[in-house]
Amino acid sequence: MKSLLWVSLIAAGLGVLPPARAHHSFYAEFDGNKPVKVTGVVTKVEWQNPHIWFYLDVKGPDGSVANWGFSGGSPNQLVRRGIMKKVIQPGMTITVQGFRAKDGSNNASGGKVTFADGRSVFTASGEDKVQAEDKK
Amino acid sequence: MRESLREPVYFAGALLAVAGCASLAWMPSRLQSQTRSREPKASAPVPMSRTTDGKPNFSGIYEWPKSIGGEQCKCSATIFDRKFFGPLKPGGEPFFEPPTGDPHHDEPRDFCMPAGFPSGMLSAYPFQVFQSKDYLVLVHEFQRMTRIIPLDGRKHHEDLEPTYYGDPVGHWEGDTLVIETTNFKRWSLDDNFYNNPKESRMHSDALRTVERIRWKDKDKLSYNLTIDDPKIFAAPWSQEFQVKARPDWEATGLLEYVCQENNRCPGGKCQGN
Repeated sequence: MKSLLWVSLIAAGLGVLPPARAHHSFYAEFDGNKPVKVTGVVTKVEWQNPHIWFYLDVKGPDGSVANWGFSGGSPNQLVRRGIMKKVIQPGMTITVQGFRAKDGSNNASGGKVTFADGRSVFTASGEDKVQAEDKK
Repeated sequence: MRESLREPVYFAGALLAVAGCASLAWMPSRLQSQTRSREPKASAPVPMSRTTDGKPNFSGIYEWPKSIGGEQCKCSATIFDRKFFGPLKPGGEPFFEPPTGDPHHDEPRDFCMPAGFPSGMLSAYPFQVFQSKDYLVLVHEFQRMTRIIPLDGRKHHEDLEPTYYGDPVGHWEGDTLVIETTNFKRWSLDDNFYNNPKESRMHSDALRTVERIRWKDKDKLSYNLTIDDPKIFAAPWSQEFQVKARPDWEATGLLEYVCQENNRCPGGKCQGN
């Protein structure tokens, strides 16, 4: 668990409302009081229902590497928002913001992904989908 | 293809309204007063395509029902607006259920259990309608839920075990398709704890729903849903939703949705990376 100590647990910076899901309640799996912000290298992408998962190798200050898993929205909803599987590929360095799994494991929701060039994409929240459609 | 279905055709509304009133005779009296009060008022005919037997053509892909200025869920799905709820029946079954700590009870969808009806109808995924003279079939992307609505005049089944999606039969009242569904098992009425983590809203096994579907304008349906649950509510109540046709989604069609495929953290316990 020491390798997790470096992880930023940002109490105020990520907003109050957790990303909501269409499959099940956010609260069933994630702790809305434990926001996380992690930067690492993508090792694997599972573009599958009911939620996409993507994994990062994250280096801690002591050099140890921990693999984190992040859960996003359903691939169906992401595709209709124009977000395809290729947006996150193994080898990319990305920063992910979300909320940690209730069981305390290296898993979290992955609501926002920021790429090395500063671009970002929301990979969860149904509300984002609605807002995007309203802008059409 | 969709455009070809949208040739404007106009029918005599008064004649169809008479036919609609006549077909109310089969409905239980508890529902008749409710549904009659919801009859669409006479207005300018809505441009719509029709099937070869002259019925409004609902075939196509749609968004899920959206509230019309109603209460919004803290999620992507639609929920019922509490301002439409009927009065609770004194001494009736509980409408609100708090979480018990057992995730199988508190969030059954987290274990890929069925959404059920009407909850699944309100899930934030599109659905496709296939229509023939004798059936209306609604296929939802979410959980690939499928509802097959007989339109051939048959009655409800008898002596079957209650189900998550109930036993529907449909008929036409003018240009409005009316679907009555019975024989549900007690289940979540809308989203489990999505709207309020402190309580889930339930329906009983006495639930009877009446859906009234009609074209509201050239690309929107009016979807009026009546909840008649005499074990919980003292009277039926209804809420009208709006459903937008999405012919632009037909090229992609419905996507596969297999909940069990990668459900990694059921009940808040994640399986290893």
